[in-house]
Amino acid sequence: MTRPEDALEHARAEAARKRAAGEYAAVGAAALDDSIVSARPSIELLSRWAVIEGDPQLLYSTRRAGAPITALKRMIVHLLRQYLVEVEARQTRFNIALLASVQELEARVARLEQAAGAAAEGRREEAADADATG
Amino acid sequence: MTAVHQAVAGAGPYDAVSEQTRAWRRLLGEAGYGGGDHAAQIDPRVRGGFAALDALTPEPGDLLVIRYSAWSPALTGLLDLPQRLLLVYHNITPAEYLWNHSAGLAVQCAVGRIQLPAFAGRAQVAVADSGYNAAELRAAGAAEARVVPILFEPGRLEVRGRPPAGEGPLVLVVGRLVPNKRHDRVLDAFAAYQSACAPGARLVLAGEPLTPGYARLIERFVRSSGARNVTVTGGLAQPELNAAYAAADVLLTLSEHEGFCIPLLEAFHFGLPVVAAPNAAMPGVAGDAALWTDGDPAVTAELLDLAVRDAALRAELGRRGRARLEHFRSERTGAEIRAAVADALASPPAGG
Repeated sequence: MTRPEDALEHARAEAARKRAAGEYAAVGAAALDDSIVSARPSIELLSRWAVIEGDPQLLYSTRRAGAPITALKRMIVHLLRQYLVEVEARQTRFNIALLASVQELEARVARLEQAAGAAAEGRREEAADADATG
Repeated sequence: MTAVHQAVAGAGPYDAVSEQTRAWRRLLGEAGYGGGDHAAQIDPRVRGGFAALDALTPEPGDLLVIRYSAWSPALTGLLDLPQRLLLVYHNITPAEYLWNHSAGLAVQCAVGRIQLPAFAGRAQVAVADSGYNAAELRAAGAAEARVVPILFEPGRLEVRGRPPAGEGPLVLVVGRLVPNKRHDRVLDAFAAYQSACAPGARLVLAGEPLTPGYARLIERFVRSSGARNVTVTGGLAQPELNAAYAAADVLLTLSEHEGFCIPLLEAFHFGLPVVAAPNAAMPGVAGDAALWTDGDPAVTAELLDLAVRDAALRAELGRRGRARLEHFRSERTGAEIRAAVADALASPPAGG
């Protein structure tokens, strides 16, 4: 019997042996990894999210035999399309303007940090020169 | 009669928080408390048991129990009421898993984490269903966070429906089809298990999908994984789920985020070996009664093979599983729930 405490080492050894024999050649690679967003989404990802586009495929009903309800919801969305496009455009306008402001602020902060770093370095060099000559 | 009202963000037919709300209600009723259960959103398939949250009008001496697993504006509104508050923290799925799959739920989860300190600070008594969740509650500012486990009721596991069809070792995965449960990794490991250990093995993924779109994504993963004999059942009624447990050879969970993971206890009840990833609350719940994988699909496949074929190992895991269940006996948990409710009712009211 393999004890529960020994099972992981046993499994690793067996997996390594079979890998060497080519038995685990086609093991998959976590297809969801790319869809998991880091705690701070990139500007590129935010740019994609900023553009609001309603997708009727997102409509559904959780009721039993909900297909007619889903079809009705999609028809209503279709009938309201002109209005919804206008609302989406207004939200997108705000999102893009806000994102542009954030990008500009990030660039300004980066420039200020660079300038502050250079100034601090200059002060350190002046202090070192003063020590050497004094 | 003292009333204890429970409030949740959403009530569904299969989710653990709704099930715990019902279990607490039975216990509270037996203990002589009145009150009702309320949800900000109620799934149309929920037949009775929950009323709309905006219909909640508590009396001054009543106790509010907020079961917190996601944010809702209506839940935040309860913080302004003068009634005493018992917070039950079930944990909140990190929004990172959800942004690309359900933006609305991701917002509820992201704001839920931001708002947690307000709930933790307002509650007279704060409880969490695992040590993992209690640590988060303390980090959010709760003065005291006691652990009151899931109220585990083995009686509901007795009724048997129709078992999954087919022959061959049956690997069972129980839990909603949501990104943090990592069904993609499950499929990778199962495909490896089929290719190197058990070509005739079957996999059953039992759980309600996050959205129809996410269900289609999982179906695509099934096709691209190369795995055969995979059944995606959707949410199962309790008798069918019980039959799946009874027919299974091993429970597999590679979830990356769990506030508790009730399927671990259910597997122990059925004497089913468990192969799991040691993430979040799961090691604290299962202890030494599970086989813990390092995440390598080949290693997980070999652990599945051990769990299925090594009879002595299965027997030892069964013994340990029964021992773990002793920690979660409903009599013990029921007493802890009654004590938490009594302490909350005996505490000074907000601002008092």
